[in-house]
Amino acid sequence: MVIRQALEHCSPRPACRGAGGPEQSRPVNPAAPFATLSNVSRTLAGREVVKELDLEIRRGEVLGLLGVNGAGKSTTLRMLAGVLAPTTGTIRLDGADLYENPGLARRSIGYLPEVPPLHDELTVEEYLGFCARLHGLGRGTAEAVDRVIQRCDLGGVRRRLIGALSKGFRQRVGIAQAIVHEPDLVVLDEPTAGLDPVQTRNMRTLVEGLAIGHAVVLSTHVLPDVLASCRRVAILHEGRLCYVADTAAPSTDGILVRVRTARAMRREDWPTLRIAASATPLDDDDPRHWRVHLPVGLRIEALPAALVERGFGVEELRPEQAPLEEIFLAIAAGERPAVAA
Amino acid sequence: MRLATPLIAAHEWRRLAVQPFAWVLAAVVVALMAWQFLLALEAFLTLAPKLGSLKDAPGVTDLVAIPLLRSFSNLLMLLVPLVAMRSIAGERRSHSLPLLLAGGVGNARIVVGKYSGALGYVVVLIVLVAAMPLALGIGTSLDLGRLLAALLGLVLFASALVAIGVMCSAWTSHPALAAASAFALTSLLAIVDAGARLQGVDNMGINYLALPTHIEPFFRGLVASVDVVYFLIVTAVALAFAAHRLDRLRSVAD
Repeated sequence: MVIRQALEHCSPRPACRGAGGPEQSRPVNPAAPFATLSNVSRTLAGREVVKELDLEIRRGEVLGLLGVNGAGKSTTLRMLAGVLAPTTGTIRLDGADLYENPGLARRSIGYLPEVPPLHDELTVEEYLGFCARLHGLGRGTAEAVDRVIQRCDLGGVRRRLIGALSKGFRQRVGIAQAIVHEPDLVVLDEPTAGLDPVQTRNMRTLVEGLAIGHAVVLSTHVLPDVLASCRRVAILHEGRLCYVADTAAPSTDGILVRVRTARAMRREDWPTLRIAASATPLDDDDPRHWRVHLPVGLRIEALPAALVERGFGVEELRPEQAPLEEIFLAIAAGERPAVAA
Repeated sequence: MRLATPLIAAHEWRRLAVQPFAWVLAAVVVALMAWQFLLALEAFLTLAPKLGSLKDAPGVTDLVAIPLLRSFSNLLMLLVPLVAMRSIAGERRSHSLPLLLAGGVGNARIVVGKYSGALGYVVVLIVLVAAMPLALGIGTSLDLGRLLAALLGLVLFASALVAIGVMCSAWTSHPALAAASAFALTSLLAIVDAGARLQGVDNMGINYLALPTHIEPFFRGLVASVDVVYFLIVTAVALAFAAHRLDRLRSVAD
């Protein structure tokens, strides 16, 4: 059902356009959005690469932008980073239009493109110093460079030429240049591309740490990256925003949880609880283990309370792991009907 | 934001300074020009006793300094494309252009920063070469007015060439192709009126387009506003094209 709804949201209807539809079913985040994309479209070489995109990014969260190649992820990130102006629509940072206030990009945004923009002939320290000054840091440049070198664990290579660094360190230097000026918004285009598993794990840790005090947007087509690092996920397909949800339980119409009761339950017991929209057994041999769909507006605490009150008890209760891969693949398959068939 | 241009220029300068290419190029240019200077000086010293008996005889400025600077202006046509070729094409090739594009720095400021950095290097070469004839001032009298006019002409000439080099560098992601196209374009500007001159036409619009029409008066000691304006226009137009091209690159830069 979740997958079907995701695909329905991918149709070119106004309801599909923004985070508004799917987000309405999520708990409201009290933090005001730092970056807001409103009805943003971008045409490149006569083709509309991004279509009527509405998206909000809040401070303290990592938003994962998923999509197959050509879905419009990099173009979206370029627009968000201040590199490429939208053809229509507006991008606001803290309420101010990004493209009417280009100084905002300089101060407030850090951007790591898919290939880190490095100068191989300079040392790490020299390069980061230039990046800091480019983003408007003056006298505090040396301290900022020291801080970011420490944060990105680059102390051992600070005086080495960038051209002599390994892929993992180059990626770290790329992240360092994006955050050296302590931007409010960090935009990362496939930060783990080409890294080995150890480097990938370290990079995820670094990205998670960035969320403290920053709004972070990263694009990837590596699903574990999203599940490991991102609080929210947005899926783009053919330039259109198809799906936005929290990674913990990306359902669009309520909350999905797994519950193990103390006593066995029958399917007909659930309607008597008057709490679940639906419940399906997870194991035919274990009548205590269920996937429960709680409708919109119902708090999760109501479920164990009702189960205990009716004497079924609760041994285990946890959010349903994201069926993100299924959703992603279903959306991607929509791009290629032959495969979907 | 105002400091972005000098910052980029200084950074460009720094990047040139740490590359062997820039040092080797400077060494080769200085060695070549020093060799020419010594040959011209030896010839002048050989001729000097005979020149002394002539009325209004040409001096060391006419026979050593100006020919050296004129020869250097020809070398600049080959040299400047090599210096400017990596300014933007190199950034594209190493995928580092987004660093500047995402820095909130306008296209014009990026282009002027790149241009200033490359021009600074070329001006240093001009100063090194100019130091040779100027050193003769210790032992003889030089026509300093004419020398300064020639140096001003050289700087303006170099400015136009660097701007053309940056423009060509913005047009391709291959530095070698940028250098070749800049050399072709400046060569075209150098000989655009050659056919007309062979037919005795030397004061038409086609002559105005040619680079030699405007650099030669400086070597004769004439600083005419028409020549200054020509070089400034070429510089401005080339940089405007480069900035326009950079705007297009924003949609594809990785």
